[in-house]
Amino acid sequence: MNRIKLSKFIKQAYKERYLYLMTLPGIIFMILFRYLPMGGLIIAFKNYSIRKGIWGSAWVGLENFRFVFTKNPDFFNIVRNTLQINILELFFAFPFSIVLALFINEVRAKKLKKFIQSTVYLPYFVSWVVFAGIVIQFLSPDTGIVNKIIQIFGGQSIPFMQEEKYFKAIVVLSDIWKGAGWGTIMYLSALTGIDQEIYDASKIDGASRWQTMWYISIPGISDTIVVLLLLRIGAMMDVGFEQIYVLCKPILYSVGDVISTYVYRVGIGNAQFSMTAAIGLFQSVVGLILIIICNSICKKLFSKSLW
Amino acid sequence: MRYRRKIAVSDILIILLLISFSFLCILPFWYVFISSISDPLKLKSGDVRLIPNGFSLAAYKAVLGEMRFYRGLGITITRTVIGTAFGLIIQAMTAYTISRKYFSARKILSKLIVFTILFNGGIIPNYLVVQRLHLLNTIWALILPMLFNPWNIMLLVSFFAAIPDSIVESAKIDGANELVIFFRLAAPLSKPALMTILLYIAVRHWNELMDGVIYINEERLKPMQVFLIELIMRSSVQNMVEPTENFVSVLSIQTTAIFLSCLPILLVYPFIQKFFVKGIMVGGIKG
Repeated sequence: MNRIKLSKFIKQAYKERYLYLMTLPGIIFMILFRYLPMGGLIIAFKNYSIRKGIWGSAWVGLENFRFVFTKNPDFFNIVRNTLQINILELFFAFPFSIVLALFINEVRAKKLKKFIQSTVYLPYFVSWVVFAGIVIQFLSPDTGIVNKIIQIFGGQSIPFMQEEKYFKAIVVLSDIWKGAGWGTIMYLSALTGIDQEIYDASKIDGASRWQTMWYISIPGISDTIVVLLLLRIGAMMDVGFEQIYVLCKPILYSVGDVISTYVYRVGIGNAQFSMTAAIGLFQSVVGLILIIICNSICKKLFSKSLW
Repeated sequence: MRYRRKIAVSDILIILLLISFSFLCILPFWYVFISSISDPLKLKSGDVRLIPNGFSLAAYKAVLGEMRFYRGLGITITRTVIGTAFGLIIQAMTAYTISRKYFSARKILSKLIVFTILFNGGIIPNYLVVQRLHLLNTIWALILPMLFNPWNIMLLVSFFAAIPDSIVESAKIDGANELVIFFRLAAPLSKPALMTILLYIAVRHWNELMDGVIYINEERLKPMQVFLIELIMRSSVQNMVEPTENFVSVLSIQTTAIFLSCLPILLVYPFIQKFFVKGIMVGGIKG
């Protein structure tokens, strides 16, 4: 029985040999750089030493996790910073893109609309190094534009990049600045899908602009909003490495250090591979659980699955 | 609508808000540009705001006379060209096979690919894999890990899926194999989508910082973004500034290097912008 199945499979595979051939390079790189690292997570349960290698290092069970959760004072800090930055972005950056898209949708002059779209997408296409470099210059206490303006209005210049209380606001605002425009793109594509006749009809009925936005545009993109919201919540444990790496100086680690920058600095910089791999595993597992929960909510409410 | 629309207060309000945000989005680029060509001394004393003050190309001379700038640029161009060419072919071929409904491995493959979006090993295991493959401090550490990209593949699948199996079947009857069909039929039919993904991969390579920071220690292999961040963090500026006669301030050098590094993107952006948008929008609607 099994032999028949096997020979059938081989026959089928031979018939599809070109398809397999074409997919092979992608699969090889997927295994090498996506699945092998997942296997490499076993070092979170070992006491990894470079000399002994992944297989030779001794098993320690959950010791690394016990250390991280109970004895590592930085752990609480980086998880708190990661969550705080994400929650702030959820409350400010996420709605900002929606409002921006609704406004852009209201512009009727085609050329103007195009101009606005092109310019607001632009910051998305430069690197965080460049963008953060510019932000740092804008906020510089001696020469930055922002402090010049403060001085014009008679205020004292503020060393923004040196003080803890401003850091998270800077992260969120620079994120809006760089990403909000590009973030409109899914909403705009959903908005073009709304039947123009509905808008025309509402105008004949005397609906105001804000009423059409509220009763036609927003319901029209509600699916998109929900899907993107759930994806956003699923990424709650992630803060982009590059943004923080460029903006956060050592004096700001207490408020700015996030999981990814910490894992890099302590894990690779101080060669604490096992302990930081445990943190990474914790982060990935929480992320996975969040996105599975979000997806099942999505399925129940909208019978729509993310995958 | 045929009849003339009244211009309402809300119109003006919305347009004003949008234009201010537009202005805010161009401002950084304008600022680094005018700073780079302004007199370094005036820039240093904070006298440059929204229009250039004085004119000097001294900072350009300093940056363009710097070996490390060219080295970084060279590495970045190399990784971008190789990484984009191979990345696009590999991702497109994989996406094409998954888009064929008759392919028996289709379901399992797309599940395996989507899972890599949901779960990943993280920084440390990735580093160990790159290390074990002896790729640390080689340019391949900047290229090979990025060849596979699940997001791009899923986007491409939605495009290739629009090519009906029936066309492929009839090409097969004419004696073409899948490889020929892909290069002669499927790829040309999906040109706009492939263009979008190509630009996506290229921009990603050009801007990528993290892998350079993590995988590269050797000076001669550092990509441009790493050079830039070292410049911004000031660690390497001191050697570049000659305090004697032709003094160029750190600030001028930073803005000049920043401007030069994003110049290629700024130059091609107006022409390629529509590809980014179209590709994503169509993909978004289908996906």
